[in-house]
Amino acid sequence: MSEEAVKVVTEEPSDASSRTEAKPSSRRSSRRSSRRSAERKPKKDQTIYGLGILAIVIAVGIYLAAAVSAVMGIFWVTGIAFGFILRRTNFCFTASMRDPIMTGSTSLTRAVLIALAITSIGFAAVQYGAFATGQAIPGMASVVPVSFATAAGAFLFGIGMVLAGGCASGTLMRIGEGYGMQLLSIVFFVLGSFWAARDMGWWTLNFISNGPRIHLPDVFGWGGAIFVQLLIIGLLYIAADKWENRKQEQES
Amino acid sequence: MKLSSISSNKHFQAWFKSPWTYVTGAILLSIFQIVTIGSTGGSWGVTGPFATWGAWVYQAFGGSVDHWYFFSTESGQASLQRTFFTDPASVRNLGVIIGALLATLLASQFKFKKIKNLRQVGAAIIGGLLMGYGARIAFGCNIGALYSGISALSVSGWVFALFMFAGAFVGSKLLVKYFMA
Amino acid sequence: MMAEYELDCLGEACPVPLVKTENKLKELAVGDTLIVIVDHSCALKNVPEWARKQNHEVEVEEIGDGEYEIFIDKSA
Repeated sequence: MSEEAVKVVTEEPSDASSRTEAKPSSRRSSRRSSRRSAERKPKKDQTIYGLGILAIVIAVGIYLAAAVSAVMGIFWVTGIAFGFILRRTNFCFTASMRDPIMTGSTSLTRAVLIALAITSIGFAAVQYGAFATGQAIPGMASVVPVSFATAAGAFLFGIGMVLAGGCASGTLMRIGEGYGMQLLSIVFFVLGSFWAARDMGWWTLNFISNGPRIHLPDVFGWGGAIFVQLLIIGLLYIAADKWENRKQEQES
Repeated sequence: MKLSSISSNKHFQAWFKSPWTYVTGAILLSIFQIVTIGSTGGSWGVTGPFATWGAWVYQAFGGSVDHWYFFSTESGQASLQRTFFTDPASVRNLGVIIGALLATLLASQFKFKKIKNLRQVGAAIIGGLLMGYGARIAFGCNIGALYSGISALSVSGWVFALFMFAGAFVGSKLLVKYFMA
Repeated sequence: MMAEYELDCLGEACPVPLVKTENKLKELAVGDTLIVIVDHSCALKNVPEWARKQNHEVEVEEIGDGEYEIFIDKSA
């Protein structure tokens, strides 16, 4: 069976955030490939393995939904979806904060802001719907006390994710991609978490228990909260855009 | 139907092979975040179960976390009683890994990438520890504390984002100075 | 005479391939070609993106499962 070497001449997918159109190359890639084809390793079509994994995914989903609970099935499916999406788009939160500093690029930063904007709108709607009908508001577990622990923890996390080459979601994604480094990283990630759990009494006593939980609708009302949030996100988007322009101009 | 005819089909190429844009990712992730909050009552998080994983292993080796404040709460106790496949957050994390694997295989891009040098080992260990410790005391990571926190209209999310950026700044400087050739 | 240079970034973690590419490209003359070999999906995306924004011509070829060669013709 002849395997066609699939030449991927990727056009940069046109982003809202990308500035240049991909110019047609004056060089023929076939000239290069004929020269270097001797060094090329044989490429395997992995589709069959992918389909095998897909079968397992479906089987596990059905099993969980039947043997444990339907909600467990949902957790599994949403996990698969998140992992799939992260991988297909190479969405990296680490890069969204690291690249502005190291390379001047803010395309991921702006994509994260877009995600925040859309998800905020959706969450606000769901939360408001529950509020207005007197039900328990979902997602309130994410409204946690603001204290020195928040700042310190975020700071440590920011350092760690850049060093380790991936944040929490990025680490999971890269394990699925086959990176040995992230397998090592997650072991120590768990260890660090466990260690902090041990110290949690101290953190709670000294900082967290004094920290207020601030839900924006309590401050601005529901409409005001989403307005303020989107305004901030919008301003940050413009700032990120300007940042990249400035940095790219400095370089060329 | 030959397998190679599936993988060269134009829809297959568009859905499973050609990369998608970051903006597409932003939209799709948002959709599934909203699905999550709508169907499970909570938002997406990654690092939540990590401390419990540590406890499970620790207990398996005869250790005890019974005196720990963290595990004395109702939720802490409940998490210890669960096993991996009865713990929703753990199942979702495994799903993320498998989902990424699935995408990689369907695109025929899977390659096991061994750790290249000691610098990577050091970076993974130190980076992992910092992320783990930080995420625990801040109640979450880039997903749970930042993405979900901000989206849930919590000020904690914004505070997290600000200091995570500061940390990324320091981390970038350290990376260049100590962990790059 | 247009020279070709190769930059092997196999096995490197984010963002090493991009940083090395930026530094190496500075050394090249206009018209030279830099071939960056990567196996990191991040680099597959951010190296071409950066190079295009700098107005260089970029082509990417898949040379193995998860391995790519990024051809950058220094144009400016």
